[in-house]
Amino acid sequence: MASRAETARGPDWLAAATVLGALLLCYYVLPVLSLVASQPPETVISRLDDPSVVGAMGTSVAASTVSTAIGATFGIPLAYRLARSEGRRETLLTALVVLPLVLPPVVSGMVLLTVVGPNTLIGELAATAGLPLTRSFAGVVLAQTFVASPFIVVTAKAAFEGVDDQLEAASRSLGKSRATTIRRVTLPIAWPGVLAGVTLAFARAMGEFGATIMLAYYPRTMPVQIWVSFSTAGLSEAFPVAVILLVVAVVSLVVLNALGTNPLD
Amino acid sequence: MLELDSLGARYGDFTFGPVDLTVGEEVLAVLGPSGSGKTTLLSTVAGLVGADGGTVSLDGRDLTGVPPEDRRTGVVFQDGALFPHMTARENVAYAATDPERVQELATLLEIPDVLDRRPRALSGGERQRVALARTLAADPDALLLDEPLSSLDAPIRRRLRLELHDLFASLDIPVVYVTHDQRTASALGDRIAVLHDGRVEQVGRSADVLERPATPFVARFTGSENVLDARVVEVGADRLLLDVGDGQLSTTADGREAGIDLGETLTISVHPARFELGRRSKGTDCSRNRLHGTVRRLVNEGDQYRVVVTTSDGNPDSDAPLAGAADAVELTATVPPTTVDRLALQVDDRVSLSVSADDVHLIG
Repeated sequence: MASRAETARGPDWLAAATVLGALLLCYYVLPVLSLVASQPPETVISRLDDPSVVGAMGTSVAASTVSTAIGATFGIPLAYRLARSEGRRETLLTALVVLPLVLPPVVSGMVLLTVVGPNTLIGELAATAGLPLTRSFAGVVLAQTFVASPFIVVTAKAAFEGVDDQLEAASRSLGKSRATTIRRVTLPIAWPGVLAGVTLAFARAMGEFGATIMLAYYPRTMPVQIWVSFSTAGLSEAFPVAVILLVVAVVSLVVLNALGTNPLD
Repeated sequence: MLELDSLGARYGDFTFGPVDLTVGEEVLAVLGPSGSGKTTLLSTVAGLVGADGGTVSLDGRDLTGVPPEDRRTGVVFQDGALFPHMTARENVAYAATDPERVQELATLLEIPDVLDRRPRALSGGERQRVALARTLAADPDALLLDEPLSSLDAPIRRRLRLELHDLFASLDIPVVYVTHDQRTASALGDRIAVLHDGRVEQVGRSADVLERPATPFVARFTGSENVLDARVVEVGADRLLLDVGDGQLSTTADGREAGIDLGETLTISVHPARFELGRRSKGTDCSRNRLHGTVRRLVNEGDQYRVVVTTSDGNPDSDAPLAGAADAVELTATVPPTTVDRLALQVDDRVSLSVSADDVHLIG
């Protein structure tokens, strides 16, 4: 609370910031709590008997894990390269990374269809090889990777930029190779930021709907399952499934962060 | 032996080099203002930035194109560049080829008590000790230091300077110590190289560089801030008589051998500490050069006073106004506080400045 002396000197900006921030937080939390409160636990639990809901849970968690892993494998090195170079080329490349973030997800799905869709060269070749890229688990992963992996690149890039490159210079002048330097100096210092990017990407993948429904209506992910429940039986049928998605997402993120101690440290 | 042969680098507008330097088992202090290329010199030797020409070789090994990790050039950075996610011990162990070296170096650098702390819990002095231990743990063939003392408080800096002096002497490898501080350079360097605008302006034994600066820049930067134009009025076998402002100074130099002509204008320098300050008095002491003037400023620098004097016409009996005199020159003398007390010196006092002919240095 603002003391009288502070008030006398002018607006209490810290208090104002607290109030404004608290209002926004309420706006985040209230709808979630109200959704959970509106659904009796029995109703939610009864949905776990529905094979299509359980299947969607499995697909969502598995596909999000795979797409996050792919995003990390390719995105962390890209983030490092972008963080350690400067100039117009780097700015342009960073803009390309952000591109999937600014596209509406449905449009992302459409642009992917033009490359991996059933009537495209890549799509046909993959289908012939027994790995169809649409209406398949691979399709879900492709959609999620496109939409979610930029979070890894953008966040990890900022984290790498926060690591003073003099530390890398010091490490190398101590006789350590570039690879050792990245593994033992850069990554451990940047790790909280990198992990935040991975977490964001996983959360985004779990919630992915627009691109996924274009690429892979089947196998259904949780968001698609919610959409199906809603469009066939109305909101009352969709709400319990939404609560399940919420719980699965929160639990996954907690697990991810608990496991997220730097594997290289 | 570390050899730089026509080493050059370019950064936008800044051109470094070409620089030629040879460093044996000694400490070469590279002295220069910020922007003179000191850090570039270290970075190109360590391979942290690419050279645009010339070569660096260490113990006969050409380092051109060799990545930093294979150069065996240890670098100590200005603020230590300790790895923040490791304790002091882990920092040193990171570089150590032999685990026993960690304890050994900790003892040498007096840091055994802080080994389990993270860098942010270390004082500035401790941080630099750990950084030095870490660099030495890699057992480098040359040691490069980039102003490691510059961010430390004065008492710690003085103490560490003394310790470094002894440590460097025991190393038996080339040590290049970059600094902008002339005191640190002269305290640590067996030799000094003065860097200016990316080039070595003078290199030599520390005492030689400080006492016989080769250029006005070196003179000013090493503390001989009285850099003056002087006209030759008499050329003797072992002595030159010079018109300086409105007074005269003589210097010990064989003007005939140096081919100096009467009437020629030369540049001379006098270190402020070489002036002796006195009250203006009649009569002259022939063994000393003497200029007369008025105290314009008197600055107490703690251990010494800086006295700025504008010269007058040299006649102690003259009371003519001095300011604005056409030929007047401004001189700076540094004197101990005892001198100021003894003379009860104040601004606007008339004083004499004497200097031995040996201490009037001819730049050229």
